[in-house]
Amino acid sequence: MWKISSSSSRSQFRIRRSPPTATWSLRCVEDIVFEKNCEQERRRKSVGRFGFYFPTMINFVLLISRQGKVRLTKWYSTYSQKERTKVIRELSGVILSRGPKLCNFVEWRGYKVVYRRYASLYFCMCIDPDDNELEILEIIHHFVEILDRYFGSVCELDLIFNFHKAYYILDEILLAGELQESSKKTVARLIAAQDSLVETAKEQASSISNIIAQATK
Amino acid sequence: MNPFSSGTRLRDMIRAIRACKTAAEERAVVRKECAAIRAAISENDQDYRHRNLAKLMFIHMLGYPTHFGQMECLKLIASAGFPEKRIGYLGLMLLLDERQEVLMLVTNSLKQDLNHSNQYIVGLALCALGNICSAEMARDLAPEVERLLHGRDPNIKKKAALCSIRIIRKVPDLAENFMGPAASLLKEKHHGVLIAGVQLCTDLCKANTDALEYLRKNCTEGLVRILKDVSNSPYAPEYDIAGITDPFLHIRVLRLMRMLGQEDADSSEYMNDILAQVATKTESNKNVGNAILYECVETIMGIEATSGLRVLAINILGRFLSNRDNNIRYVALNMLMKAITVDAQAVQRHRTTILECVKDSDASIRKRALELVFLLVNDGNVKPLAKELIDYLEVSDQEFKGDLTAKICSIVEKFSQEKLWYIDQMFKVLSLAGNYVKDDVWHALIVVISNAPDLQGYSVRSLYRALQTSYEQESLVRVAVWCIGEYGEMLVNNVGVLEVEEPMTVTESDAVDAVELALKRHSSDMTTRAMSLIALLKLSSRFTPTSERIKEIVTQHKGSVALELQQRSIEFNSIIQRHQNIKWVTDLLVVNNIARHPLKILVVESMHLLLGCWCMCRSSLVERMPVLDEAAYLGKRAGSSQPTLSAEKSSKPTTSAASLKLPNGVAKPPAAPLVDLLDLSSDDAPVLPSAPNDFLNDLLGIGLPNSSSSGAAPSTTTDLLMDLLSIGTSPAQNGPSDSNVVPSSAKAAESKPAPVTAPVMDLLDGLPSNASPPRDENLVYPTITAFESSTLKIAFSFEKQPEKPQVTLISATFTNLSSSTLTNFIFQAAVPKFVQLHLDPASSSTLPANGNGTITQSLRVTNTQHGQKPLAMRVRMAYKFNDEDKLEQGQISNFPPGL
Repeated sequence: MWKISSSSSRSQFRIRRSPPTATWSLRCVEDIVFEKNCEQERRRKSVGRFGFYFPTMINFVLLISRQGKVRLTKWYSTYSQKERTKVIRELSGVILSRGPKLCNFVEWRGYKVVYRRYASLYFCMCIDPDDNELEILEIIHHFVEILDRYFGSVCELDLIFNFHKAYYILDEILLAGELQESSKKTVARLIAAQDSLVETAKEQASSISNIIAQATK
Repeated sequence: MNPFSSGTRLRDMIRAIRACKTAAEERAVVRKECAAIRAAISENDQDYRHRNLAKLMFIHMLGYPTHFGQMECLKLIASAGFPEKRIGYLGLMLLLDERQEVLMLVTNSLKQDLNHSNQYIVGLALCALGNICSAEMARDLAPEVERLLHGRDPNIKKKAALCSIRIIRKVPDLAENFMGPAASLLKEKHHGVLIAGVQLCTDLCKANTDALEYLRKNCTEGLVRILKDVSNSPYAPEYDIAGITDPFLHIRVLRLMRMLGQEDADSSEYMNDILAQVATKTESNKNVGNAILYECVETIMGIEATSGLRVLAINILGRFLSNRDNNIRYVALNMLMKAITVDAQAVQRHRTTILECVKDSDASIRKRALELVFLLVNDGNVKPLAKELIDYLEVSDQEFKGDLTAKICSIVEKFSQEKLWYIDQMFKVLSLAGNYVKDDVWHALIVVISNAPDLQGYSVRSLYRALQTSYEQESLVRVAVWCIGEYGEMLVNNVGVLEVEEPMTVTESDAVDAVELALKRHSSDMTTRAMSLIALLKLSSRFTPTSERIKEIVTQHKGSVALELQQRSIEFNSIIQRHQNIKWVTDLLVVNNIARHPLKILVVESMHLLLGCWCMCRSSLVERMPVLDEAAYLGKRAGSSQPTLSAEKSSKPTTSAASLKLPNGVAKPPAAPLVDLLDLSSDDAPVLPSAPNDFLNDLLGIGLPNSSSSGAAPSTTTDLLMDLLSIGTSPAQNGPSDSNVVPSSAKAAESKPAPVTAPVMDLLDGLPSNASPPRDENLVYPTITAFESSTLKIAFSFEKQPEKPQVTLISATFTNLSSSTLTNFIFQAAVPKFVQLHLDPASSSTLPANGNGTITQSLRVTNTQHGQKPLAMRVRMAYKFNDEDKLEQGQISNFPPGL
């Protein structure tokens, strides 16, 4: 599908060697919602038929605070920067305004967003409509438990100051929008091994620079 | 050294940003940091590169542009150390996406890292590849990934398996290469590898039928064993979640089983036992257990399971539906929707519970339930269900009313067996949620009423009654106003009273009051007001005593700021003034409320011209608007969403010959319908009725027989017309027959072009724009073949209005050259920035084989640099050919010059 936003379309065109002088603006039949609906429609028809290829996967992971601040985003499907901002804005509006006793699923643009609130943080995952929503809740919990073990009773501040670590952990749990590891222990072990690699490298670097510093004194 | 380059630490920057009280402060801090990072980048600072990138990632997360850091990621990835690579790959995944060209530059580094001796570095590369690779990269690096699938380390293996999923998604052709390795992954013991392997197999099945067959033959047995092992396994602390060992593996194996068992009796047979065991033994008091049960039910529904197993599955869903947990209820509704194709009877049993869910406080559940109810409706239960839903409409949330109304309307339309019931339900919906009713729904209602002579009296009385309480519902007011105008005398005289009705007395002035109120309410929009004006005009002829009052009301709008209202008011006023007893034409005018907007102006213009000619001829007129053609209207609604326009466009080629006969007609070129109409009346409509979709033409076509059969004295009418046109020809010369009237005026117009325009203008009281002489000879462009491939041919024909040289109307005709039908046909077009493009909906999405039929679609192109730059266009056609998605694209540069 051709995306609407001009920035992405431009780069797409450049790769295909369009006339360099003209910048092309695109106009599809309707707006992006229509496009999504079409896709959705085709998706529905494709259930149980081969030849169509629609994966069931996690399209993106989003962590937002109660104030609507983004704490972590991970995109497994392709979204342009503009679309990403739009998605985040739309979804935080929908999810943050939902009452506490309601179900944890929101239907949004033909996809489903499964969210779960932990203290002041909302963990959201956007999935395809045929995916198992209850399982995604478990994956979210799985992620939170691993974070909890790593940081030792994790809180929002941990994720703000060590956001890169949160990403490393997520990368050990999910890959290509699919679950990678169901054992918390294995994830913890892998992360610890990589952290120690970083530590040794740092120590080496500092010892080398010490040596150099001393030698040049 | 640059004083900025050492900069602040990451932690300090985050703290500084968090300390900001306003957005402006935050922007200032970010700007300062970005400046420092840019400086460091331009100095090629090695020491703090990774820190700068970490900062950039944080800034990126806040939503600021960080494109300048993309190259830094590549540099870090290319460096030797693990810490640098780690942060570099993270930055790559965060700051870039697959559509950026920079990404291509990383292919080489990725290749090197995939062959690295350190497993963690290989892991990083696999992770990045799996998350953001593009199709080109997938193709380049697939062999490396495939090789890693055979490795020994489980960490690498599982990552490589998931990476392969991304590769297959990007390039489905590569699926074959992964079939063997994927099957061997299922023999692993390590759960992570197993999970990844199962997922890879599932995706292979979706991508490729060969792979599906292969895996079905080789893996079904192993899969059943895996599921058996994991569900019978003793307590395993590493994988345990709420007493269940590795639910994730459970769910994924069940999903793959669904793929393998689908439409295959043998493998389904093999799975029955284990599925029954999972369905009965899994604990359902925790979310994890329910997740497994949910997947299990879906698998049972998906494969060729035994009937006993299916009953078990439906029972599980029934249990879910009565669960107190909203999540469980939601998935139950979701699943029942799929189950309905398997066992509709069993789902019907839960109807009352589902109906309760429509009234739930949770929007997600409501929406699911409503869709399910919609599927549950059949001829037997439509009445109670519709009643329930309509009752609920009264108390439902505002934001839910739109969905609910749309669904109720379509249920009522689809399943109504008797007109009275349909009309009753529609009136209820209109008075409860008239503002949410779509235009085509109330248009259809009007068509039905007009086709039910015995219910017209009842309808108009019910509407009048409803109007008293719900004036704020726009569509109710419109329908009511139309009916009062049309069947006003039935309201006053109580014609055709049904048994169920309460008697009521409405005087003529009451009826006029009702319409007047609709006209004068502040909340009424233009269409309603315009309809009210027409209704008043009709009433003026039906209720002669009130005609003076109506004239007053109409006159008040002479100065209306809305052009439409002003025009109508002035014209109607003159009609009332000059021809108090002319009703027929007014009926004709109503048509343009039903015709869609884009045509409206055209229709109004042509009507007014006709009015001049025709109303004079009809002194004893048909009382009511001709019955609307129900079948044609419904067919048209089903056909396309905006059919009048496209049908009109598609009928152009057939009528263009007719329009050429009048080189100097009274209308400007775009008013082709007018020309058609004038022509039509002369030779008894050979052209237009042949376009059955054209609603407008149909209406006019229906009007014609009436006109020719009406008993007016022909010679006097001709006389009147000639008199009005103040053309000197004597009536006797023009022959006595009715059908000669219009051609004679046309002939007259041909012979004396100049004087004719003036009287016509005079007659129409201020429609001077109609009289501009046409100059269409030099605006003819040749039809071009815009695109041709082995399956598809596209022809463009062009049209241009002389006063708007930059606007071109293109009608595209698609022809299928192949031997099988193309479905889901979508045409897209792109134009350079200086051109604006408007696409109308296509006439259909199915293209029959061998050129037996075409799709037409019209495009409006505005070239803002007309004369300086030629038109260019790129097109893209997506369709389904032999059950396969196809995509074709091309560039059109052979547009005729001058466009």
